[in-house]
Amino acid sequence: MNSRKDETDPMNKEEIVEGKSSRRSFLKGLSIAAAASSAALVTGGCSLESLPKSREELGLKWETYFQENYRLMTQEEKDQTVERLTRQAKLEDNLDIHISSQPPREKVLYGYAFNISRCEGFMDCVEACVQENNLDRNAKTQYIRIFEMEPGKLDPSTGDGKYFHKVPVDDKFYMGVQCFHCENAPCIKACPVKATWREPDGIVVVDYNWCIGCRYCMAACPYYGRRFNWGEPSVPEEEITRQQHYLGNRKRMKGVMEKCTFCIQRTRQGKLPACVEACPTGSRVFGNLLDPDSEIRFVLKNKKVFRFKEELGTDPKFWYFID
Amino acid sequence: MKVRSCSNLSALMFVILMLSGQSSLASQGSVTDRILEANEPFDNSQIESAHSLPDQTVWAKENFQGRKFKVLARKNHMVRYRCTTCHNNEKKILVNDGVLLTHGDIKMNHGQGENNLTCVECHHPQDRDALIDKQGEKIDFDHSYQLCGQCHFRQKRDWLGGAHGKRVKYWAGERVIRNCTTCHPAHAPKFKKRMPATYSLPLTK
Repeated sequence: MNSRKDETDPMNKEEIVEGKSSRRSFLKGLSIAAAASSAALVTGGCSLESLPKSREELGLKWETYFQENYRLMTQEEKDQTVERLTRQAKLEDNLDIHISSQPPREKVLYGYAFNISRCEGFMDCVEACVQENNLDRNAKTQYIRIFEMEPGKLDPSTGDGKYFHKVPVDDKFYMGVQCFHCENAPCIKACPVKATWREPDGIVVVDYNWCIGCRYCMAACPYYGRRFNWGEPSVPEEEITRQQHYLGNRKRMKGVMEKCTFCIQRTRQGKLPACVEACPTGSRVFGNLLDPDSEIRFVLKNKKVFRFKEELGTDPKFWYFID
Repeated sequence: MKVRSCSNLSALMFVILMLSGQSSLASQGSVTDRILEANEPFDNSQIESAHSLPDQTVWAKENFQGRKFKVLARKNHMVRYRCTTCHNNEKKILVNDGVLLTHGDIKMNHGQGENNLTCVECHHPQDRDALIDKQGEKIDFDHSYQLCGQCHFRQKRDWLGGAHGKRVKYWAGERVIRNCTTCHPAHAPKFKKRMPATYSLPLTK
């Protein structure tokens, strides 16, 4: 999982960036490397106890490095992959997690609706999302953004996205933005390595192991829906959500993209996404678009709905509605 | 002749292939097209994991377009239910106990200004274990939506369909939704102002 970052020596990399490399530092680096390798030779013969474990760990790392694109795997290979990742989490971080490879269900297309006249900006959704999806606490990554909006404006870029005061404020309304899971998603087209795609149930996902971190998708997304891991994400151990999905809230690496997945680990089990369950005002409606009896279909049929930047033709599966 | 039938067959095969290709393309159409095409109710029983709700539920006395659903029960959350344990004409209550039990903690804030509601506008004056609507019908505490919907009929209409209120825990499986009083305290139904649970980050341009 971490093979990529080990390719370059961090010390040398820093020097290259800062342009301070000199003959002296080069020799210093060389001598350290020599000492390290000789130490490895010496200890390699002694520590027999730790050897089998580390050998397994290295083997798993090796397999992960040569892992196929998730989309091209058979279900059997997917199951093996998540099993390996679960084992790796145990070996590397001593974590008992469960990673699922649950496939999409037949006749299901997920859709989302957001009531802008009912949201009061409490941001319980954001908090629930951060916890459910194991979002990086260092970088304060958030999939959802809530904007405090002036009446009459419907573009979140005109709203206040940095508010932190008692809500709701009179004569303001609140608008939440996250990944809209476009049916015609620009981010998917932009990806040069096909590490992101739309699943048959409509969820746009990222294969974190296949992503090269070029951030083309981030630039392509007209909704600012994608997030990049500039550093190694960190979550306090006691706060880690153990029920995970390969395409969802499992551990991300430094230098990969991530985004809202409609809580794929929950929704594929029939549960509501964390944000929907957490919302105290009932502004968030989620359901199966292909089921005429679903709540989301009721909203689309009976309420005044609109989609954000619909004119771009991205065909998002996220509607805003008013009472 | 034989050759000709063979070519016919291959032509047929070609047409079938084309059609199947097209149908797969059609299913990749816009969301609106796909929604308009889908009119068959979803088989909710196929999602086994969406069962077993921890909370107590009751069947709603109303249905939505012929479909039954459940609501979260209310009575098991009411601390002093049954009300008739005190509100009966048999047992006298001492003044000292009365101070504790007269619901002095309730601040009515339901209805604007002078239209603030009083107790008996919703509570049954005789049978204290029930509510009463404007027709004088008894209404069960578990089915308060029948009472609230008298004034808040727009909200009730949305609630029945799913645009107001919330489903509990699952999008699939049996439809269980929150009761009015699960979210709104009946005596002061408006949500109080408070600090957001977390902060929001700026939109980077």
